[in-house]
Amino acid sequence: MKFEPAKFLPGGDHFMLVQFGDDASIDLNFMALGLTAALKAAALPGVVDTNPSYNSLVVEYESDDISYADLQTQLERLIGGLGSVEELELDSRLAYLPVMYLDPWTRECVADYSEKITRRGDDPDFVARENGLEDAKQLARVHSGTEHWVVAVCSTPGLPLMRALDPRCALTSPKYNPPRTWTTLGAIGVGGLSTSIYTTPGPGGYNLIGRTPVPLWDPRQRHPIFKHRVVLLDAADRVKFVPIGEEEFGYIEARVADGSYEFNITAYQRFSVGAYKKWVASLNADGRF
Amino acid sequence: MAGKFEVIKAGLETSVQDFPGRYGFWEQGFPPSGPFDMWSFRLANILVGNWPEMAGLECQFMGPTLRFSDDCVIALTGAEMNATLDGEALPLWESVAVAAGQTLACGFASVGARAYLAVSGGIDVPTVLGARATFHMAGVGGVEGHALKDGQSLTVGGGEGVHGRQVKADCRPPIGGGKEWQIEVVQGPNDDWIAEEGIERFLEAEWKLQARSNRTGYRLEGPEWIFADKASAKGPEHGEHPSNILDHGYPVGSINLCGQTPIILVNDAPSAGGFINPFTVASAAFWKLAQSKPNDIYRFHRVSVEEAQDMRRAIDRLCAEESIR
Repeated sequence: MKFEPAKFLPGGDHFMLVQFGDDASIDLNFMALGLTAALKAAALPGVVDTNPSYNSLVVEYESDDISYADLQTQLERLIGGLGSVEELELDSRLAYLPVMYLDPWTRECVADYSEKITRRGDDPDFVARENGLEDAKQLARVHSGTEHWVVAVCSTPGLPLMRALDPRCALTSPKYNPPRTWTTLGAIGVGGLSTSIYTTPGPGGYNLIGRTPVPLWDPRQRHPIFKHRVVLLDAADRVKFVPIGEEEFGYIEARVADGSYEFNITAYQRFSVGAYKKWVASLNADGRF
Repeated sequence: MAGKFEVIKAGLETSVQDFPGRYGFWEQGFPPSGPFDMWSFRLANILVGNWPEMAGLECQFMGPTLRFSDDCVIALTGAEMNATLDGEALPLWESVAVAAGQTLACGFASVGARAYLAVSGGIDVPTVLGARATFHMAGVGGVEGHALKDGQSLTVGGGEGVHGRQVKADCRPPIGGGKEWQIEVVQGPNDDWIAEEGIERFLEAEWKLQARSNRTGYRLEGPEWIFADKASAKGPEHGEHPSNILDHGYPVGSINLCGQTPIILVNDAPSAGGFINPFTVASAAFWKLAQSKPNDIYRFHRVSVEEAQDMRRAIDRLCAEESIR
């Protein structure tokens, strides 16, 4: 697939926004993540930090080491080297995350909002209706029926912005307006095209459909998995939600608390965009689980 | 030899920061943090003989009261907080020898908003993700992740330190008592979402700093924005309001338009979100943001990327031994 050439836009004196396109085509995110990987491999002097998202990448640079014009030239060269999106292969781990759908804690969050800010019904029912699903139970079946692609880790530490890789499981829903003032830790939210997991108990705008007992980051780095990295997920990882009940939730929560929880992440696969697109083309797009 | 000081009164929000803050973890959702006024911060360190990067204190609006358990050298820069050492007025922009047992007491900021305290040897807190800077929203860095609390005891690196030095008057940031500031901005990255007359209106208007402003964002009050056609004729994936855009990364300093309210995203801001950024504040203007107070007035002055970079270099050159006498 061919794209318009990327646009390069300044963000003040030490940031550059590389815009691959204007829409939410997942190919644009593959390109942004492909460029992020290429930029790291190239280890260009003066490149300080990267921040990819849906269809763009923000690069922070040190202008004493590389000028705006030279950075753009280097990025154009690296984008040229990526080839077509189908040729991209990205390192991609698969994380299994237990989730209790339709849990009591996020319901409490929604009830609190309903009481204090503006009346609203049950979030899972709302999302099910918006997407033409029978009920909240089917919503859980659909949401857990796909691998979710980590588009970016952003906003707050460790927060994954994800979208369904299986088009039969794609969900869209409007976000809260006005937003919630608090959200329970580990809440699974859906809004726009995205699924996210709340990693800080702050405000939020996504519809809440479940909760995971597994921490996605730990600033104190207590558990061995956080020894060499503070957050669990990276962009280009995949997440598979594993439905659990309340009893299992309590069991995992206790194991997380005493440090004996065994995280389930595989790291032996690479994600081939070409193979993925071939698979998507073979599907019955109207199918639902 | 390492020393200690005790926090008698923490002040309004006093945090450990280092220069330039936390880098390399932006794509995991961590902002840079670090001192808001990096000009004053670095000069404080240089005054006492530290490296400019070493950890010191950022004191916001009302500074702390600290008792030093060991001899050391300190320097206070930035906002005027009418500080005293054992009751005697403590000069700003000067390194001063402190004897064990002496107490530093800061008051409310009368000129400027943020003062910086450097202690010889720097403040010794654990390094988290490569930095000592506090990111208190997430409880990372500094003292147990947060601003100082009464009764805490902090360790300093020690070392001799050099007292009796001053920053030359023309090498300090010109923090005056005025309420009006000119803030340099670079146009972009999302300026094409604003109509031409909207761009002109932004640059001509006076913008008032709202009280609900902090190290995450500076909220501004001013005229209505005028959006370009693009802002309404966009795909549904971008969201409903003209200021909504599909989630993207936020440059630090970007003027983030949330509905009709512009919020300047500063040191502890979220790394990404779903609103447009029509302008970005030059890093050389951050000291002015740091030293202004609610209800102060901003006027934005457009500069090029290269001009903004030159301004940053000019400040960097002043953060050096040559500025000291």
